[in-house]
Amino acid sequence: MSQQVENLIKKDYAAGFHSAIESDTLPPGLNEEVVRFISAKKGEPEWLLEWRLKAFRAWQEMEEPTWAHVHYPEIDFQSVSYFSSPKSMADKPKSLDEVDPELIATYEKLGIPLHEQEMLAGVAVDAVFDSVSVVTTFRAKLEEAGVIFCPISEAVHRCPELVQKYLGSVVPQKDNYYAALNSAVFSDGSFVYIPKGVRCPMELSTYFRINEMNTGQFERTLIIADEGSHVSYLEGCTAPMRDENQLHAAVVELVALDGAQIKYSTVQNWYPGDSEGKGGIYNFVTKRGLCHANAKISWTQVETGSAITWKYPSCILKGDNSVGEFYSVALTNNCQQADTGTKMIHLGKNTRSTIIAKGISAGRSNSAYRGLVRMNPGAEGARNFTQCDSLLIGDRCGAHTFPYIESKNPSAVVEHEATTSKVSDDQMFLCQQRGLDAEKAISMIVNGFCREVFKELPMEFAVEAGKLLEVSLEGSVG
Amino acid sequence: MSDFQNVALQLAEAQHSPDWLQSLRERGALSWSSARWPTRKTELWKNTPLQPLQSDMPSRWAAATGTDWQQDIEQIDIDATRLVFVNGQFMAELSSDLPEEIVRFADANVAQRQVIEQKLGTVVDAERHLFAALSNAWVADGILVQVPRNRSLDKPIYVLNVSTPEAEPAVSNQRVLMVLEDGSQAELIEHYVSADSKQNGFVNSLTEVIVGQNAQVQHYRINLEQEDLLHVGGVHVNLHRDARFHGFTLAQGSRLKRIDYQVNHRGEGAHLELHGVYLPRNKQLIDYHTNVEHCVPHCTTNEVFRGIIGDSAKAVFNGRIHIHPQAQKTLAELSNKNLLTSPNAEIYTKPELEIYADDVRCAHGATISQLNETSLFYLQSRGVERAEAISMLSFGFINELLTQVPEQAIQDYLRPRLTTLFGQGSELLGQLDYE
Repeated sequence: MSQQVENLIKKDYAAGFHSAIESDTLPPGLNEEVVRFISAKKGEPEWLLEWRLKAFRAWQEMEEPTWAHVHYPEIDFQSVSYFSSPKSMADKPKSLDEVDPELIATYEKLGIPLHEQEMLAGVAVDAVFDSVSVVTTFRAKLEEAGVIFCPISEAVHRCPELVQKYLGSVVPQKDNYYAALNSAVFSDGSFVYIPKGVRCPMELSTYFRINEMNTGQFERTLIIADEGSHVSYLEGCTAPMRDENQLHAAVVELVALDGAQIKYSTVQNWYPGDSEGKGGIYNFVTKRGLCHANAKISWTQVETGSAITWKYPSCILKGDNSVGEFYSVALTNNCQQADTGTKMIHLGKNTRSTIIAKGISAGRSNSAYRGLVRMNPGAEGARNFTQCDSLLIGDRCGAHTFPYIESKNPSAVVEHEATTSKVSDDQMFLCQQRGLDAEKAISMIVNGFCREVFKELPMEFAVEAGKLLEVSLEGSVG
Repeated sequence: MSDFQNVALQLAEAQHSPDWLQSLRERGALSWSSARWPTRKTELWKNTPLQPLQSDMPSRWAAATGTDWQQDIEQIDIDATRLVFVNGQFMAELSSDLPEEIVRFADANVAQRQVIEQKLGTVVDAERHLFAALSNAWVADGILVQVPRNRSLDKPIYVLNVSTPEAEPAVSNQRVLMVLEDGSQAELIEHYVSADSKQNGFVNSLTEVIVGQNAQVQHYRINLEQEDLLHVGGVHVNLHRDARFHGFTLAQGSRLKRIDYQVNHRGEGAHLELHGVYLPRNKQLIDYHTNVEHCVPHCTTNEVFRGIIGDSAKAVFNGRIHIHPQAQKTLAELSNKNLLTSPNAEIYTKPELEIYADDVRCAHGATISQLNETSLFYLQSRGVERAEAISMLSFGFINELLTQVPEQAIQDYLRPRLTTLFGQGSELLGQLDYE
C-alpha cells in the first residue's frame, strides 16, 4: 500500500509550463528608484507615488516575521525583479483579438479559455500575467449594471476618488512586512466597485500567473461593495515549474458597506516545488475584509500549491449584525509548508462568524491552522463557531493547530474544536467491503472530509478543487 | 537584563546554600541572566505582563515569622505527613515527623544527596522556562520524596506553604523533587496560601516529579493566595512506562499567578489525567500554561481546565499537546471551558496541537460564554430565584471537576469555599444581570 501511496502522491504539476513571451522586465533589486519607476510606468498620480514611498520607507524599517510554523532560507529581496510586463502589452490591445496569441494559448492550457469562458460560463475574467493585467472580458455587460471591473492601474485614472478613499483602508501600508512590500511595489491587480443595491450580474474572476524567471508578483485587489450590493469573486493562480523560489506577496482588501455581501473564493495552485522541496512559490498574502452594519464577507479557499503558504484571510466585523465566514481546505504534499487560517475581529453587536478549516498533510509536508477570534468589549451578543480538522497521510508529515481565542465580552459566545486523525481503518474496511477499491475509498473519504468547504465554492471551482485533491490523494492510506 | 533579573541575582548571592548545590545554582544563574526578559512579543508571556514584578520589586528574602497566622488560615483536614513552610522557611514544630522517604535537602544523607545531585533540575528545561532557571539559581533548600520500588507511602504528603505579611516586598523559593521508583505509589498535596491581603511578595515554586515504570502519583496543587502575592510556579513530570499521573490544580488570588505544567511521556502506556480550575476576580490575573510532550507510542492524555472569570480579572490558558513522530497510537484530548461573568473580565485561551505522527487521535475544544439562558429559565420556571440559579449553575460548572477529585479531604476543603465564593452577592458572579 505504501508504494501505492508514494506513486499517487508523486503527481506532476500540470500547470508547470513556461510560455515564451517576450517581456519587459526590470533588473532585480529594490530601492526608491524602482518604486518611482513602477509608478511612472503606470502613469500614476503624485499621491499614489507618495503613498508607495511611504510604504517603502516603512518596509525598510520592518523586520521579517518569524512566528509562523514554516522554515525557509532567508529571502534576498534584492535578487527579485519587481516588475515584469509581457512586451506586446506596450501597445495595449483593444480587444481580445489583439492579444498575443501565445498568451491566449497559455490561458487555454490553464483551462481558462477566455473566449469560451465568455460564452459558456458567463464569468467575467481579469487575467493578471506576471505583473500586468492582460485583459478584462465582459466589460460592456458589467458597465450596463454600473459595475466597475478593471485593472487597478486603470481604476486609478478612472475613479481616483474611490481608489484614494479605500486603498489601504483595510490593510494599511504598515500592516505587516509583506503588506508594506506590496504597497510599495504593487504592479497591478483587480479593482471592483459594485454600486448601491446592485447584484453583480455574473461572477467575477481573476486568474494570476507568474511566468518570468526571478520575478515576484505583487498584485493588489480592491473590492468595494456599496450599500446593499452583492458580488461573488473568484481567484485562481498558477506558475511555471522552476528550480528557484519565487515570491508572491499579494494584498486583497474587501470593503462591504452596509448590507453588502462579498463572497471571495480562491483556488490556489501555485507551483509547490518538486518532491525534494526544490523551487516553488513563496506565497505571503495578506487578505482582509471590513464589514459594515449587516454586511457579510465570506472567504472560501482551496490551497493546494505553493512551497510556503502564509495566508490569513480575515474579517473585521465592525458594523452591528455583520457576518464573517471562512471555509478552507489546505492540502500540503512533499515538502510543502502551509501556515494558514483566519482572523475574526468582532467589534459590533450581534456579529457572527463561522470558521471551518480542513487541513490535509501528506508526504513530508507540514500544515498548520493559525487563527484568531477576538471578541472586543463592544461585541454584545456576538457568536463564533470554529472547527478545524486535520487529516494525516503518511507518518512523516505534520498537522498543527494554533488557535488564539480572546474574549472581553461576557455575552459573546465562542466555540472552538479541533481534531486530528488519519483515515480510519474501519472507514476503509467498510468501503472496500462494499466493493470499492482502496483508491476510490480514499477519494470518497477525503472528498467527504472537505465537503463542508466545497459546497461553499461556486460550481466550476468546486469541480476543479475536487479534481485537484483527487489526483494527489487517491488511495493514499491503507 | 531587566532590573528584576539583577535583583534576583543579588538575592541569590545573599543566600546560604550547601556546597553540593553550587553547580546547579551557577547553571541556573547563567541561564537566568542570559535570558531575554519577556515582553508582549514573547509568545509564552504574550498576555501575562510581568510588570507587577518590576514595579513592586522584591528586595530581600522573606523571613520566617511566628505562628500568629494560624487562626487566619485553615489547613486541609487530612491524615497526612505534614510539612509546613512559612515564607519558604521550614517550621519543624508545626510539621510531622518525617518518614524515611521524605527529607529536606538540608538534612539529606550521602545517598540522598546523590539522588538530588543526579535528578534535580533534569526534568525541567530551564532554557525554555525562565522561572525554572531562577528556581535553580535560588535553590538552597527543598523537599526530596523518594519512594522505593514497589512501595506505597502510608500517608499522603501535605506541604503547606504560608506567606505572611512583610514590611517590604520579599521573595521566597520552594522546591520539591519527587522520585518514584518502579511500581511505587504516592500522593502529594501542595497548598499555597497567604495570610494577609496587604501582602507584598513573590513566590517562585518548582516541583519535579519522576514517575518510574508502573508507578502512580496523585498530585494536587491548590493556590489560594491573596491578591498582592505574586506567584510563578511549575510542575514538571516525566512519565515512564505504564506510569500514571493524576493531577488536580485550583488557583485563585494574585495579581500575577502563572503556573506551568510540563508533562513528558517517556515510556509507552503512560497516562496523564490533569484537571484544573481557575477563578480569578477583582484585578487578578491567572495564567495556566500546560505542555504535554508525547515522545513514545501508546500514551494517553486527558486534560480538562475550567475557569470562571469575574470583575476586572484576566485569565490566560495555553494548552499545548506535542506528538513526536514516533508517538503512534496516541490518544490525547484537551478541553477548556470558560465562563465570563463581568463586562470587564478577559480571557485569552489557546489550545495548541502540534502533531507529527499519523496514527493518532487528538482533539481539543475551547469555549467561552456566559451561563446558558435556557438553563437559567428552566430553574426559574421551577421556582428557583434567578440569583440562586446563577449560583447553582456556576457551582455546578466547577463541581463537575471537583467530584472527580479522588482525595475526599480536598473535596471537603474546597467545597464550602466554593459555595461561599459562588454565594449570593458574590464578587465572582455578581456583575451581570443576565437580561
